[in-house]
Parts: sequence; C-alpha cells; structure tokens
Amino acid sequence: MAVYKRNYSAYTGTVTPVWTRVLVLARYAFEEAWSSKITVGLFIFCLLPCIVSLVVIYLGDNPIARALVGGRGDMLAIDAKFFLKVLQTQAWLALVMASWIAPRLITFDLADNALPILLSHPISRFGYVFGKFIALFTSLSLITWLPCLLLFVYQGYSSPQPWAISNLQIAMGLLAGSVIWIAFLSLLGLALSSWVKWRVVATGVIFAAVFVPAGVGAIVSAVLRTRWGLLLNLPVMMSNLWQRLLGAPAPMNDRLSVPTLAIAVMLSLTCLVCVAMLNKRIRAREVVRG
Amino acid sequence: MGVIDLDGVEVRLANRTVLNNLTGELNGQAIGLLGPNGAGKSTLINTLLGFHLPSKGNARVFGLDVHRDRAQIRGVIGYMPENDSFIGNMSGVRFVRYMAELAGLPPGVALERAHEALFYVGLGEVRYRKVNTYSLGMKQLVKLAQALAHGPKLLILDEPTNGLDPVARQRMIQLIKDIRKEGSIRLLISSHLLRDIDETCDEVLILKDGRIASLCNIEEERRSNRSFMELETVGATERFSVSIRGLGCECATFPGGRIKLVIPDNIEARDLYVIASEQGVQIRRMNQRRDSLEDIFLRAMDNDQERTANGSL
Repeated sequence: MAVYKRNYSAYTGTVTPVWTRVLVLARYAFEEAWSSKITVGLFIFCLLPCIVSLVVIYLGDNPIARALVGGRGDMLAIDAKFFLKVLQTQAWLALVMASWIAPRLITFDLADNALPILLSHPISRFGYVFGKFIALFTSLSLITWLPCLLLFVYQGYSSPQPWAISNLQIAMGLLAGSVIWIAFLSLLGLALSSWVKWRVVATGVIFAAVFVPAGVGAIVSAVLRTRWGLLLNLPVMMSNLWQRLLGAPAPMNDRLSVPTLAIAVMLSLTCLVCVAMLNKRIRAREVVRG
Repeated sequence: MGVIDLDGVEVRLANRTVLNNLTGELNGQAIGLLGPNGAGKSTLINTLLGFHLPSKGNARVFGLDVHRDRAQIRGVIGYMPENDSFIGNMSGVRFVRYMAELAGLPPGVALERAHEALFYVGLGEVRYRKVNTYSLGMKQLVKLAQALAHGPKLLILDEPTNGLDPVARQRMIQLIKDIRKEGSIRLLISSHLLRDIDETCDEVLILKDGRIASLCNIEEERRSNRSFMELETVGATERFSVSIRGLGCECATFPGGRIKLVIPDNIEARDLYVIASEQGVQIRRMNQRRDSLEDIFLRAMDNDQERTANGSL
C-alpha cells in the first residue's frame, strides 16, 4: 500500500512478540488517561501534600526550625506516624484519581462496542484487562509509593543521624501498603467501570463502593454491638493495615482495630468479586439467554 | 488443507443449538456466507475467531484449530464486525494504528500502514477526525481499514454493506472486488443480501437454521446450467436454425424470428455469431439462461425444507 498509489499490498515485515500486545494496550490506555487536562490537574493537586511533607521534613531536620517550635518538637518529628499520615493522604487522593481515570479506560471501549474488534486481535480477555490494569496502576504509582519513597529517601539524606537503615520498615511499609491499595483500587475501578456505560456515573459508583459499605458497616457494628462491621469499612481496614506495615503506634481506641488476617481475607474476597465482574462483562460477544 | 475446514461443528449457546453438524471445506478466493436472519452466520464467524467454543467437532482456519490456536489465527485474520465497533474518541488514523499494533505491527510501521489503509478505503481526507463524528458509511470504511492495515491472510467481513446508501454500497463492493483481485487475501463475506455475494464471491456457503443448506462454487453451478438460450433474430431465420442444428444444438423456431435452443458444452455463443455473420442474420437479442445466486439460494432453501419434512415423517 502507498498513500499516493491507493492500492493494497500485503504486509511482509516483522511482527512483534505476542506478549508485547499487552503493553500496546497499556500504552494506549495510559495515553488516553493522561490526554485529559483534568487528569493533569488532579495529578498536580495530588502532589501538593507531598510538597508540604517535603517542607516539614526539611524543617524537621533543621536545628533552627526545631529550636523555634521549642517544646512542641514532636510537631516536626519525622517517624512512622508522620509517614503514615503521608501515606493515608496519598492513598485517599489515589482513590480520587482512580475514580477519574478508571472509567476513561473501560467505558469508552464499552460505549462504542469496541470489544469485538479489540478481542479479534491476538489478545486475550485477561490480556485486555491486564493492559488496562498496568495503565491505571502506573498512574496511581506516580502519586503513592513513588513520592512517598522519595520523601523517605530525602529524610534519609537530610537527617543528621543515620536514619534510613534503622527505619527501613517504614520504606517497606510505604511500598507494600501503597502497592496493596493501588492494586485493589485498580481492580475495583476497572470492575465497576466495566458495568457502567457513563463515565460520570462510574466515578460516583467507585466512590460509593468505598464509602457506602463503610456506613452500612458502622450501622451493623452499632446495632449488633460488634466490631466485625468494620470489615465493611475500607478506610478503617486500610488504616489498620498501613499502621501495622509501617510499625506506627496503634490507635488509642481498641474498638477500631481489626485482625490483619480478617483484613487480608476481606480484600481478597473483594478482589475475587471484581475478577468475576470483569469476567462476566469483558467479552467480545454476549450470549443472550432465554 | 482448505482455507476453512469444518468437521461436524456444533455450537450451543444458552442451551440452544445454534450451529448443527457443519461439515465442509471452503477453498474459494472469496467465500460468501449466506442465510436468512438467525441462520448462524455471525455465530460461525465468532466460532472461527475463537469467541465461541464448539461443543462438538472442530473447525480449522488455514489448518489451525480455532480454539487451541486462536491467538495465531487472530494474527492472520482481519475482522470487520457487523455492528458499530470502534473507539469513538480516537481519530481515524490513531484507531487504525492502534488495531494494527495490536495485530503485531511495530509502532512506526503501524502508523504508516494506518495512513495507507485509510487512503486506500477513501478516508484519507478525514483521517484526523474523531471516529464518532464519521457518517455510517465512513464508520463501515474505517472498520474495513483497520481489518486491512496489518495485511491479513483472511479478511472476514460481517455484513459489510449494512446500512449503506447505494453509492456507498457500490464503493464498498468495488473495494472488496479490488482486494479479491489483488490476490493475497482470502475473503469470507457474510451477508443476507444475495446481490452482494453474487458480485463479490466465487464460493458460497448457505446456512439455514444452523445447518448447511448448500455449499457450492457459484461459477461451476452457473456453468452447469448454461445450456438454454433464447435468440431474437432478423433475416433468414430458418436457414440459420438449420445451420446451428448442424453444430449439434437442439433448436426450435417461433414466429417473429425467435429461436430457442439447447447448446452442447463445446459450443460457445461466439460460434452462433460467426454463423449469423456468414448468413447475414442479425442477432438482436441473446438471452443465456444462467442460474442466478437467487436460484441457488431458493433451491437450497427448498431442499432443506424437503429434508426437514422427510425427516419429520
């Protein structure tokens, strides 16, 4: 084929390996997500708390600043508790980001019925979802574990005492806590987006999926006088998990504590439901029963 | 090894047998898939693409099993679905490039081929417009462009002229003919429009109620029924009819210079013109009775009905 000749010719060149097709999907999904100015605006907004934290770390390691705050030195203490707050802030901003990006990755394809064409290429349904997952996971990484670890590195660099080695658990906790959260968010976002054709509605549904069960859980806990209602409360569950991963002090109120195993089971169950939802929805052809 | 081999293929969807014991070998350069609505045409295409798993039997494309080797098959197939299927907020060229990359072309080559494919189908001037701003005809063409861009060995077109106006339809048919003429691509064209298949295909598979009603080579079928001819002549009709009897034709003359004849296989229309010229006879009209695809289709439907009736007795 040539533009000026306008005739057809067969392709005889090289073909890329099949496994790289997932990366093609991921690349296009990533470009789609970041083609919106709102995404860029959100990204900048999500980095603002990190800049504030950076300033706090600078001041915390600055003798003059510490002298100025005097007896309230714990205000500028850079420890597990400080990084827990940073992680929590970034994690909830990641929810905002995920609820904006995830629908862009899936609903466009569903709204225009692109799946038959996409899946008629050498890409499996798993490959399709995985490609989108990579794009979302990478986008969320830019505002969670990456800036958190950079803050950790900066603290290790600017601290007058050897700090990084003795606080390695914080770095591991930041990484593990962020990865668990954004992997969960990515799966949840894609699963819910695959069932809703309208992007704005999908964004709302993702938020609702996090906060409505939390309210239901609170009612269950209050009515049945049990703490197991917290297993529906994602914010509390994740706070518990992050606090343990970073080695930060436990919350004063014991009633807000949930066993780690129960949290892991609950997150795994939710992920399985998400996979089932994606399996049901991401198909080239729907078989209508009846 | 045929382009498509069907060996007792049965596909059940939602507890209903949609394709029933399809067996045959399709070898044509352009294979037409005909049948009334609900006959199983799209299901057969989806099965060939590996979207549906046959519950019995197996199907092969270029010798590859449609389920086990589906990734390989999809690499050599270009598929143009029946319904709207695209990514609306992408420009035409980006969409076609994306599909070409998914089919395995390196990014640079995919971009180049996307431009070429869009010019080839006639969308060169609108390739930077978003696909959801295209008209229905343009959307059909962009689907064709994405199916062609990676240079497939088999092009599957599911109702390619669906919803097109006569001009756009003619353009689509011409494109299909050009692709067929180029020769490197085999075509499988599904349609319920006999004329589309008649104009573009050399082999036809007719489905009815999920069964094969007929599988035939259109040209051969026509050739086997081309012996009847009607002529309208001016001049020495009687002498002319005696001469053509001498060629071995059975012949009957009628008032007004009309002649009906049955010609043997070795006689061509040209031979009649030669005799007419020698005897100063003008042939004003020549009507060679050929089986149209419609005849083939209707006969297949009738045969299938008879088979069903006999089966039920």
